[in-house]
Amino acid sequence: MTPNQLTVAVLGAGTMGAGIAVVAARAGHRTVLRDVSDEAVHRGLDNAGGFLRKSASLGKLTPEQADAALANLTGSTDLSDVAPADVVVEAVFEDLELKRALFAELDDVVSRDTLFHTNTSTLSVTAIAAGSRHPERVVGTHYCNPAQLMKLVEVAEGRHTASEATKRSLEFLHGVGKTTVITKDRPGFILNRFLIPWENNCIRALEAGLGTVESIDRAVLGALRHPMGPFQLLDVVGLDVHKAVSMRLYEQLREPRFAPPPLVDRMIAAGDLGRKTGRGFYTYDSTRSFGA
Amino acid sequence: MRTFQRVAVLGFGTMGGGIAQVVAASGRDVVVLETGQERIDLGVAAVRDFLDGGIRRGKATEADRDAVLARITGTTDVADLAGVDLVVEAVTERREVKAELLGRVATVVGEDAVLTTNTSALSVTDLAAALPRPERMAGLHFFNPAPLMAVVEVVRALQTDADVITDLVAFVEDIGKSPVEVKDRPGFLVNRLLMPYLNDVVQEYDDELASAEDIDVAIQLGLGYKLGPLALLDLIGIDVHRHATESAYAATLDPQFAPPPLLAQMVAAGYLGAKSGRGFRVGTEEQGEAR
Ligand SMILES: NC(=O)c1ccc[n+]([C@@H]2O[C@H](COP(=O)([O-])OP(=O)(O)OC[C@H]3O[C@@H](n4cnc5c(N)ncnc54)[C@H](O)[C@@H]3O)[C@@H](O)[C@H]2O)c1
Ligand SMILES: NC(=O)c1ccc[n+]([C@@H]2O[C@H](COP(=O)([O-])OP(=O)(O)OC[C@H]3O[C@@H](n4cnc5c(N)ncnc54)[C@H](O)[C@@H]3O)[C@@H](O)[C@H]2O)c1
Repeated sequence: MTPNQLTVAVLGAGTMGAGIAVVAARAGHRTVLRDVSDEAVHRGLDNAGGFLRKSASLGKLTPEQADAALANLTGSTDLSDVAPADVVVEAVFEDLELKRALFAELDDVVSRDTLFHTNTSTLSVTAIAAGSRHPERVVGTHYCNPAQLMKLVEVAEGRHTASEATKRSLEFLHGVGKTTVITKDRPGFILNRFLIPWENNCIRALEAGLGTVESIDRAVLGALRHPMGPFQLLDVVGLDVHKAVSMRLYEQLREPRFAPPPLVDRMIAAGDLGRKTGRGFYTYDSTRSFGA
Repeated sequence: MRTFQRVAVLGFGTMGGGIAQVVAASGRDVVVLETGQERIDLGVAAVRDFLDGGIRRGKATEADRDAVLARITGTTDVADLAGVDLVVEAVTERREVKAELLGRVATVVGEDAVLTTNTSALSVTDLAAALPRPERMAGLHFFNPAPLMAVVEVVRALQTDADVITDLVAFVEDIGKSPVEVKDRPGFLVNRLLMPYLNDVVQEYDDELASAEDIDVAIQLGLGYKLGPLALLDLIGIDVHRHATESAYAATLDPQFAPPPLLAQMVAAGYLGAKSGRGFRVGTEEQGEAR
């Protein structure tokens, strides 16, 4: 056991949960990945394990490091296995009631000192924290996808967060190799606050005929040197996901620039969700072109 | 089809120098008009510095540099522009200055010479309207630094002839850039998208969403942008951005272009970004290690 080894419980073994579990396990913490069904737990563990083994085969980790991380990682469907956790990282569905209920339940399971982290993208940290009888222990820690690789974590306090909880959270995050930025409990934190209106604005420019999908992407890539054009990025994110995030921010901020433009609805209606369906702003599946 | 072998650039500042260099590197002769010999000397020195940097990084040879410099001539006399086929105007961003100069240049160059402006914030249609034969006027909007930025916006004014656009698109490709055809709208395409984003960031920074450094770090690490928005504003110049977004706002009354009040305050305080030594990131206490 290494001196600073903690027990970390990750709730939700989906995309983000599996990634966060890798981060914690690789940093040497005993990590429990918890989900509601055996199936979900296994899927999460398989993803996490697959990532670690691939990292070893690519030479990013030594086989020993990968084995050590794998040995730190367990799965469970039983909330009582979360009891010894020093840090709980919540990464379940983006649903306020679900997250609040989970924190309420956890109050009775874990010790009084356990930190509660929420990975919410668009909900209020304060509102989630209110589910716990000890909202002072709740901190917003917003990882980026894929959490295994992206260094950034946005940190936001709720209204009742204790500064001691934030301090311990920052130590934990720095300990697992993340770079943190401090932001406020406001819709979208920093990244989504600026990305969503940017993307919607690009879609509006397209609808207004200021350019084509290709020319707007090319202009942004060439003149601003972004790593991806706005439409390339939207196809990766998925139009359905973009709409959901936009709507949640719009409902809270009530500013039109967060509202998804009508083209998003038309694309969703047509099933053109992006890469995952073979067609979005671009076509990825050549069998879908007419007359092919 | 015109291939524009003899090119005049108006103004030997940041953009004029970069554009002259790019055009000369394509094998064309370039004559650059300025207001005084010392400005020409400064402009040539800046191009030389840029090319020397390329030599140090092993991207070019001294012979390449000398060949480019040999194709660039400076002048303070508009009469020396007689005979060029293409004019790229890149003088100070003020309507009266550009309109007056373009008017004089139009009388010197041939009837068929194509006139273009590198303006960021003025209307090309409006500049063209003051000229004889406005149909040969268009926008050619390079980005800074011109030798490095891959894209050039080819701006179609209301009056521009279709074949002028066709020839300019081919010209942009021939000088090794990627042309993007756009309409003459405030901000064209790229700045039309960039300005609301930058304004949004400035307002949220003023509203204390996060520190300037943390906003930039979040955007760089989270979205992979080369520069954070506030470092970018320091480079663009806070006065330059304010002027551009104010012009777009005046032209559209669209609130997303309305300059956040902090911009005017920073300009009043002389905090213009890199060029004045103080801006959002430059010259501030908090610059340093990301947490
Ligand atoms: N996907 C992203 O790009 C991204 C980025 C940053 C933050 N987020 C946020 O992270 C959270 C999770 O997102 P995701 O993309 O990983 O979702 P996901 O759908 O991939 O995974 C969610 C998982 O939570 C599980 N779950 C549901 N209720 C549970 C409960 N009571 N206890 C334990 N597990 C439960 C589900 O079975 C599922 O496996 C959301 O709040 C989301 O907004 C997502
Ligand atoms: N700097 C940028 O990032 C950038 C990017 C794209 C477009 N632009 C546009 O390019 C143009 C030039 O900008 P810049 O940054 O190079 O400015 P600058 O101040 O560096 O250069 C302008 C030059 O024009 C000269 N000049 C002024 N009046 C003149 C005249 N009557 N005859 C000849 N020369 C004259 C000045 O002496 C000066 O050297 C502006 O329209 C600007 O909006 C700038």
